[in-house]
Amino acid sequence: MPVRHPAVLTAVAGVATLALAACGTNGGGTGSSRTGSSGTGSTNAAPVSNGAAQVHITLASGPSGDSCTIDHPQAKAGPVTFTVINTNATALTELELQSNQRIIGEKENLAPGLGAVKFTTTLGGGTYQIYCPGATKEMQNLTVTGKAAAATGGSASALLASGTAGYAQFVDTQLSAMKAGTAALRTAVDSGNLAQAKVKYAAARPYYEKIESDVDGFVLPGHSATDNAGNLDYLIDMRASNLDPKVGWHGFHAVERDLWQSGRITANTKKLAAELDTNVGKLVTLAKTLKYKPEDLANGAAGLLEEVQSNKIKGEEEFYSHLDLMDFNGNLEGAQQAFAYLKPGLNVLDPVLTKQISAEFAKVGGQLNAFRSAKGPGGFLPWTPAQRIKSAAALSQGVQGLQDPLSRIAEKVATQG
Amino acid sequence: MSDSDQPRPGLGRRRLVQGAAGGLAAGAVVGLGAGWGVGSAAAASPSDDHDTVDLSTQHPFYDEPQPAGIKTPQQRYAVYMTFDLVDGALRSDLQVLLARWTAAIAQLMKGAPIGQVDSVRPGAIGQDTGEAAGLDPASLTVTVGLGPGLFDQRFGLSAKRPALLADLPALPSDNLVAASSGGDLSLQACADDPQVTYHAVRNLARMVRGTAKTRWAVLGFGRASAGKGQQTPRNLLGFKDGTRNLRSDAEYDGFVWVDDASEQSWLRGGTYQVVRKISMNIEVWDADPIDDQQSIFGRTKNVGAPLTGHGEFDTPDFHSRTASGKTVIPADSHVALAAHENNGGVKIMRRGYNYTEGINGFGQLDAGLLFIAYMNTPQHFITLQSKLGASDRLNEYISHIGSGLFAVPPAPRTGHYIGEQLFA
Repeated sequence: MPVRHPAVLTAVAGVATLALAACGTNGGGTGSSRTGSSGTGSTNAAPVSNGAAQVHITLASGPSGDSCTIDHPQAKAGPVTFTVINTNATALTELELQSNQRIIGEKENLAPGLGAVKFTTTLGGGTYQIYCPGATKEMQNLTVTGKAAAATGGSASALLASGTAGYAQFVDTQLSAMKAGTAALRTAVDSGNLAQAKVKYAAARPYYEKIESDVDGFVLPGHSATDNAGNLDYLIDMRASNLDPKVGWHGFHAVERDLWQSGRITANTKKLAAELDTNVGKLVTLAKTLKYKPEDLANGAAGLLEEVQSNKIKGEEEFYSHLDLMDFNGNLEGAQQAFAYLKPGLNVLDPVLTKQISAEFAKVGGQLNAFRSAKGPGGFLPWTPAQRIKSAAALSQGVQGLQDPLSRIAEKVATQG
Repeated sequence: MSDSDQPRPGLGRRRLVQGAAGGLAAGAVVGLGAGWGVGSAAAASPSDDHDTVDLSTQHPFYDEPQPAGIKTPQQRYAVYMTFDLVDGALRSDLQVLLARWTAAIAQLMKGAPIGQVDSVRPGAIGQDTGEAAGLDPASLTVTVGLGPGLFDQRFGLSAKRPALLADLPALPSDNLVAASSGGDLSLQACADDPQVTYHAVRNLARMVRGTAKTRWAVLGFGRASAGKGQQTPRNLLGFKDGTRNLRSDAEYDGFVWVDDASEQSWLRGGTYQVVRKISMNIEVWDADPIDDQQSIFGRTKNVGAPLTGHGEFDTPDFHSRTASGKTVIPADSHVALAAHENNGGVKIMRRGYNYTEGINGFGQLDAGLLFIAYMNTPQHFITLQSKLGASDRLNEYISHIGSGLFAVPPAPRTGHYIGEQLFA
């Protein structure tokens, strides 16, 4: 859902104050000061009326795509009013005014037929960009003549870099905890205590679900990329539905089958649990070499939500134990963590999107909370076929509402790398 | 304006699809006529032009006297989908949704994508999903319906609710399931290329994610009703359906377009859409003797003539009796119960499609009729279905499992959007 975000207004107001100071005007605020009303600029300069330079931007559909047309690409420093209208461009719904990749003004929901919208901001001299995402020419310059505004702090790329470093530590923590979890599962299985083993299984699972999309690409030395016998993700997390008969079944879900379906711990169960623990150990070592770019976090978060849609919602992940909602929660928390580490940088680049994603995360989290149960295995109600029929569609729709805005992060942060 | 607005004459640009009925008949009427046992009454006449499909055909959308997709010659395929606004959606979200749908529908009906298919820059997601790239407009129309739920407290529209726009009452033989009933909004996309219909609805659904969520959908094929100039097609029971459908402007003015001073002004020039998902018990029907099937319908199966006549378009005589004193057309036959002669003159405009959803949980063919009808008051459908649901002998073979009622606003003017008057 489109969200209007007060932070945008704050940002605009902040720039306005600085710009006003730089211009040395004494107007009462944005749009009311009287600066540079005499028309001395070139014919390309925006005319001034009501004390503000008037720039009109038209979004329209044409034979070769949707265009974003600026009537005057130059304006005098001071208040500038942007009037934006979408006549019939179906692919364009927003417009941003940027300075050094920071958004300083923005309009969303520019649907055709809704009429013109305006925003006014005070600009110091310099080059600005009008960004129309999706237009045939997305980025166009607006040149403002006059004194430059004081620089504003907070580099998006520095914030993103510190975010990726923090996220790498988060992944390490999860890996260590998973290793402890599979060791405890192995001990419980070795002791032959079925009830205890089930508890330890549920305790070990969420860690992998939180970081799966970062660590699912490792192949053991000496194996080709297509050989499942050396694919750590296959060996740790393969489900019954996707088995490679040549390699057989290994990992968490083979143990799950023994514990829940057959309800017996056999010598083979013990072998599987020991092998799982060993492979997780190998994964921990290998994953320490990982380096993250901001878009890796964004793509990883999107990947975890795809996991939710394709495996958890359908109940395929934990086919025997019905612990799918616990895994769902793991995926969601993992995605939310990746987002949280990107958030300070993303908030500089696009506060509206940041706010929107935060709100969608909260919504899905709220939906999932309704299924929490102290008595349920892993803290959630079992995701049984009956429960799925009742609730899967609503949960899936909720996740979809989050997936769409989340899928827009990667390109935003990638340009900062 | 794109170049697709220009006329497209010349066979080089025409993509002709042979019609299942008219096209084949025109091409090989003698041989096939004999093979199918079709009598002279069923031979195609030159007026069956609409059964030959020209995929380059475009229909206008803006500034029309009526909304597209109703009087438009019926296309061969449909996707019907309904939506609910998400919890917390605002009035302005609904306006943006309708505005974006309107502009996108205008573009889609021209056969144009609603944004770039190719990547604009590294890492970007596509604007149009692309599966209709290179396909012709294929006579696409998209018709937007507004459900009764939109006029509750959520969007401040309760004062604009048409008095007749309320959930349909429970009707005899209803076997409705929530999963295929109702909705805040409906989309009816019809075209002569099924990929074009699907692309349209998919992209319209996509652009409102986060504001509206999908509720139910049916994919329709083989139009089950005839419009003006079209050969009467057949439903999946094998019978012609829509022989007596509305055709003349006078009938549309009298029974379809809302033109009542007591109605909400925003709906004048629009209409009501009733949709029913009717499943058919196909295996049982196929085991029923044709004589019995004909007495259930009140028409012959092959020609489609009323049991009192010889040709399809002969007027049924509901008073003619056999030697034993019974009416020739049984009083509980489908045609007798539905005929305007027996319903105080009531007529509705039918624009349905056959559908199939594969095989049901019992191994039976899961198929039926997506009944879509347009009328200037839903009471006309209620009147007819109250009778049919109670007495129609066809009820043994069909079941109404889905239902919806929507108001269809008039066609938008250029630069404006569907339902804009609601927010004035």
